Amino acid sequence: MSKTAKRINIQGIVDGQRKSTQKLLQEVYDYLKQDYTEFDIHASGQHDIGGPLWSEKNLPLKFNVTNPGQRVGCMGMKGTQIVVEGSAPADAGWLNAGAEIIIKGDCGDTAAHCAASGKIYVGGRVGTRSGALMKHDPKFPAPEFWTLKNTGSFSFEFIGGGIAVVCGWECENSDSVLGLRSCVGMVGGTIYVRGNIKNISDEVFILELDENDKEFLSDGLKDFLEKIDKPQLYKKLSEFGKWKKILAKTFEEREAKSFVPMKDFRQNFWVKNGIFGDLIEEDYYVAEFVEKGDLRLKYPEWRNAFYSPPCEYNCPIYIPTQKRIALLREGKIAEALSLVLDYSPFPASVCGQVCPNLCVDECSRKHVDIPVKTAALGLLSKDIKVKPPEKEIKKKIAIIGAGVAGLTAAWHLRKAGYQVYVFEQDKVIGGKLKQVIPHDRLDGKILELELKRIENIGVNFKTGVKIDKKLFKTLEEDYVAIITTVGAHLPVVIPFEGHERLIKGLDFLKAVNAGQKPKIGNKVVVIGAGNAAIDVITGAYKLGAKEVTAIDIQKPSAFDKEIKHAQKLGAKILWPCFTEKISEKGVHLKDGRIISADTVIISVGDRSDVSFLGSEYLDDKGIVKVNEYFQAEANHKIFCAGDVLNLGLFANAIGDGRKVAINVDKMLSGKKLDKFEKTPMIPQDRIKKEYYSPIHPQNVMAMDTEGETERCLSCGVCRDCEFCMEICPEFAISRVSHDDGTFEYVSDSQKCIGCGICAGVCPCGIWTMISTS
Amino acid sequence: MATMNVNEVAIDDLQWIIEYNQDRCTLCGKCIAACPFNSIEAGVEKRRKVISEELKPKPKVIFQTVPVIKQVVNIKNYCKGCGICEKVCPNNAIRPVKNPEERMAIKHRASFGEPLKRGGRTNLHTEGRTLDKIKIGRISQMTDPSLDAQRHTFNMLAPFGRVMPPEEIPFTIKDGQLELSEEIPPNRWIYPIIIGDMSIGALSWRMWEALAIATAYLNEVVGLPVRMCTGEGGIPVRLLKSKYLKYMILQIASGHFGWNRIINAMPDMTEDPAGVLIKIGQGAKPGDGGLLQAQKVVKHIQEIRGVPKADLLSPPNHQGLYSIEESVQKMFLSLSSAFQFRVPVAIKVAASVTSVSVYNNLLRDPYNIVGGFFLDGIAGGTGAAHEISLNHTGHPIVSKIRDCYLAAVHQGKQGQIPLWAGGGLGMSGNLAGDTFKMICLGANGIFTGKLMLQIAGCVGNDFGKCNACNTGLCPVGITTQNPILVKRLDIDKVAENIVNYFLSTDMELKKLMAPIGNSSLPVGRSDALITVDEHVANRLKIQHVC
Repeated sequence: MSKTAKRINIQGIVDGQRKSTQKLLQEVYDYLKQDYTEFDIHASGQHDIGGPLWSEKNLPLKFNVTNPGQRVGCMGMKGTQIVVEGSAPADAGWLNAGAEIIIKGDCGDTAAHCAASGKIYVGGRVGTRSGALMKHDPKFPAPEFWTLKNTGSFSFEFIGGGIAVVCGWECENSDSVLGLRSCVGMVGGTIYVRGNIKNISDEVFILELDENDKEFLSDGLKDFLEKIDKPQLYKKLSEFGKWKKILAKTFEEREAKSFVPMKDFRQNFWVKNGIFGDLIEEDYYVAEFVEKGDLRLKYPEWRNAFYSPPCEYNCPIYIPTQKRIALLREGKIAEALSLVLDYSPFPASVCGQVCPNLCVDECSRKHVDIPVKTAALGLLSKDIKVKPPEKEIKKKIAIIGAGVAGLTAAWHLRKAGYQVYVFEQDKVIGGKLKQVIPHDRLDGKILELELKRIENIGVNFKTGVKIDKKLFKTLEEDYVAIITTVGAHLPVVIPFEGHERLIKGLDFLKAVNAGQKPKIGNKVVVIGAGNAAIDVITGAYKLGAKEVTAIDIQKPSAFDKEIKHAQKLGAKILWPCFTEKISEKGVHLKDGRIISADTVIISVGDRSDVSFLGSEYLDDKGIVKVNEYFQAEANHKIFCAGDVLNLGLFANAIGDGRKVAINVDKMLSGKKLDKFEKTPMIPQDRIKKEYYSPIHPQNVMAMDTEGETERCLSCGVCRDCEFCMEICPEFAISRVSHDDGTFEYVSDSQKCIGCGICAGVCPCGIWTMISTS
Repeated sequence: MATMNVNEVAIDDLQWIIEYNQDRCTLCGKCIAACPFNSIEAGVEKRRKVISEELKPKPKVIFQTVPVIKQVVNIKNYCKGCGICEKVCPNNAIRPVKNPEERMAIKHRASFGEPLKRGGRTNLHTEGRTLDKIKIGRISQMTDPSLDAQRHTFNMLAPFGRVMPPEEIPFTIKDGQLELSEEIPPNRWIYPIIIGDMSIGALSWRMWEALAIATAYLNEVVGLPVRMCTGEGGIPVRLLKSKYLKYMILQIASGHFGWNRIINAMPDMTEDPAGVLIKIGQGAKPGDGGLLQAQKVVKHIQEIRGVPKADLLSPPNHQGLYSIEESVQKMFLSLSSAFQFRVPVAIKVAASVTSVSVYNNLLRDPYNIVGGFFLDGIAGGTGAAHEISLNHTGHPIVSKIRDCYLAAVHQGKQGQIPLWAGGGLGMSGNLAGDTFKMICLGANGIFTGKLMLQIAGCVGNDFGKCNACNTGLCPVGITTQNPILVKRLDIDKVAENIVNYFLSTDMELKKLMAPIGNSSLPVGRSDALITVDEHVANRLKIQHVC
């Protein structure tokens, strides 16, 4: 303080009248203009004494204040010193911008609030929220805020910079020299504290002092204690072991979560092994949406031949046409053409000519263009030679009836090596195939070839032998098994009035085929409209009939193809028609109509003559009682097949003949007989027809039969195209060849993600996705 | 051959159509591998063109077969729109797109002859949410001292249990100190948000355990006294015997599933449960009983619940209850006595036009045994319900809680039987706002379930997305018992996310309490609420502003 400083005394109360804050401050301003720099102010609670004030001549200002009001020293500036003798109320040093403020007693709330520079020394304690929002502008010295005793609660809230020192003098027994909840929102600055601290914000760290801190404090304390006239406390207060330093967490430290990680909590505090630990095995592995191995939602299986192709399924003989074509595709032509003979001795006669080819009814190829040409395929096998069996079995088997059922059974059993004897009452073998099928439907030369093939492997035929009870008894003794395939040769006649006028259809057809040219009129009515009736119609036209009508009581059972053939010849097919009687006029129907006819032929079915069997073999209708293995219930060494059991197609007779042959072999080898259950037919939607470009049907018909290898879709049987291998996104699929020439595709579960692309693109419907759960 | 008839389900009937960009697809297979509904599959398509490239007409066939990803079109495996395919596709080549033309509501019923079932919430949004029309409009500005959400301490506790009016508390003075001369009903002061009742069975074991862990963590680590209601599907014995039972509110509903194990575990319990909640009905499907479809009744569920694999239908009502009085007598008394009157017992009903009568009746309970009235509104969620119930039955929660509160005020009994509100709270993603408004309207606290699942990673929404909780094929492992799907759920992450959500909500609640100057929950402080909707203002008796 300059000795020349001009000093003035200002009273807050004059003549018992208190001055307003404004009036007192204006006096200060006036004196300041007169270059007064030292002010003794005996205030009476006037506010805002001490700042912001400055001398025009840049001289230091000093205010000695007693009894100030709120905000003493607020906005104080550098060069200003304010000394308060005694205590000051709230907000002392508020927004201090550089002044030195010494308050020798206590301070009210929010002391040093928002102080940004300068120094504030308090010789007592400070109130609540003191030091709040202090900050440090780097262009100015940091603010300092020294308190001898303690602070109220919520002190140093939101402090962003500066230094605060709380000496805790005479507060040694206090729980917290900073009150409660101090330092909330603290982001910067340093607070030195001597004494206990409790319930402080979690945004700060409490640290021990380092050497710099001690140096700062030991210098600063001396100064502070001088200012508040308590230098004697230095010794006690400078025991730095009792001091702590509070710093705000840095931005990065704040980001770090202070809570225990959840996994640690679960592992160390939560119920051991989880609350479901006794019910579920839990490894806490977190799966991705796409996984391999056991964590796939579904996995592929290569189900080759799991389903039957439609051709095989629908063929009564189970001829694996798909397999024949596959062999052709592989270039194994001889094998392909021979394969069918493992099923039927009549591929050219039946498959190739008379069969309605049920095999292609559901051929998948029909959904692309037209079905695979199986009839043509059958004809290709007409010249295939088969050698007699290499190994002979001594057992003798008798077959009664040389129709297709008997011949098929004979064929298979002879191929297996048995001594087969076929008894036929006709002069020739071939049954109805030979006797009744019109020659325009079946090429006799081809039939002969196939019959010859049967003879050539060593089947013994005894033609012109009618079996009666006596002979049957002998057969029973001489043969280890007897197969009854006598067919159905007794035409059924319905006893209408005038039925004696009827010609029996079967007799008519036999006569036609035998070249006897039976006599018929111009108008012919055929009662019945099954496939046999169509043959009758064909025969009638051939013999010169002008007008043929077939009638039936229900929708004709003949195949569409046959009906169209008859209609093409000019035949009318009427139904439902219920016959009342037959007269010279023709057929009288119950509804009064008369269909005029010169000749009436009845073709409504045939029965078989099994009178050589005792009645113990037969049911009420005179049909042999057989079990599911085609064995006569009355005698298990007697088997039946073909029309003798059930009127059917040639294919049915061949199929049954084969089944019987297999079961006879099984029986004679002591094996369990077979029921011949079929594997289910492949669902159409499993076959990816999109791979096949449709070909115009005309062009298909013009193609070689060998061309069917390109058209067959290989339903349910792998065509070995390797599409799955190429497309699998994980290269999980590989092809494995076996020593026996077979192959398979396998998917590696450690690579496969279970996407099912293999199944989605498989042309043949082999790959199948299985749900894991 | 794929043929299409009028009555078959066609792609344009489906709710979601798979938008597939073949040019971007590399057939990596991830989408199909990840889809739990088998709604997409690989297939091949034909490309066929007959063109002429010469100077005169000469047909040339160009034919290609192209592998693609296809949508499965049938009445069972139809796409639910969960969008997992989109999430896993590295090339943005596939995603479900909502089909505004869909006809599944008709097709499904016409095909199966039985009601359509699904999970989720109501998907009909005929009016906006009332709560979103309400704002907190009373901000302390130079009036009462506002509080600072960060700085101040708040009392965030709500009562679970009967609150006795001061004049009825049996105090006596002994040695200058107040002392209770007899027992008073048990009461627990807990966090005002209860994790709502979702059963083991409805939820996967990982999801349920994550909720339980989060609850324990919130209490033990964070210090928020959050309680979880178990739902009625049995409770693991290991939890019953653990110290964490004290955070669990046990539920008993009409099926009474799992109570055998609870009763038999009693001698081994080291803690009382936090409370018992009798469930009469559920807001999402009032009048409809519980429904756990057979595909979710796996072995451990069968064991805990004591049932075989079957569709588990809880009756819509408690078989032995016929009146309010009987409920009080039978259920409250029995369940109070189960824990020797130490544990508060509350009741949950679906909000209904009759709720006020029921509440009035309960308020007259002479035994002081009714420990809380939980009202569940129409927008609540469920793991499985008939869609007819989800979309067309129920009562909004907002006016109902207000009516009940005002009915209690009319009797001078507000606060005695705590009111807890639920049903679609937090469905917009912000639970704090909904909670605060419900409290201002008179609720003591709220309960929330579906939101927890959304925090856990539920991909569904209230506009028909996914909603397949009932199928047992939840694509994120939340509402399924399929072990592979359950493994998709990260139990620690779920618990952590729930804890984080509570931490944020806690701070947000304070952010709303501070400006209105309440340091404890502002129950009934409807003066803090305003709305620009006059009808809402009139109905709720809050200030209409514009």
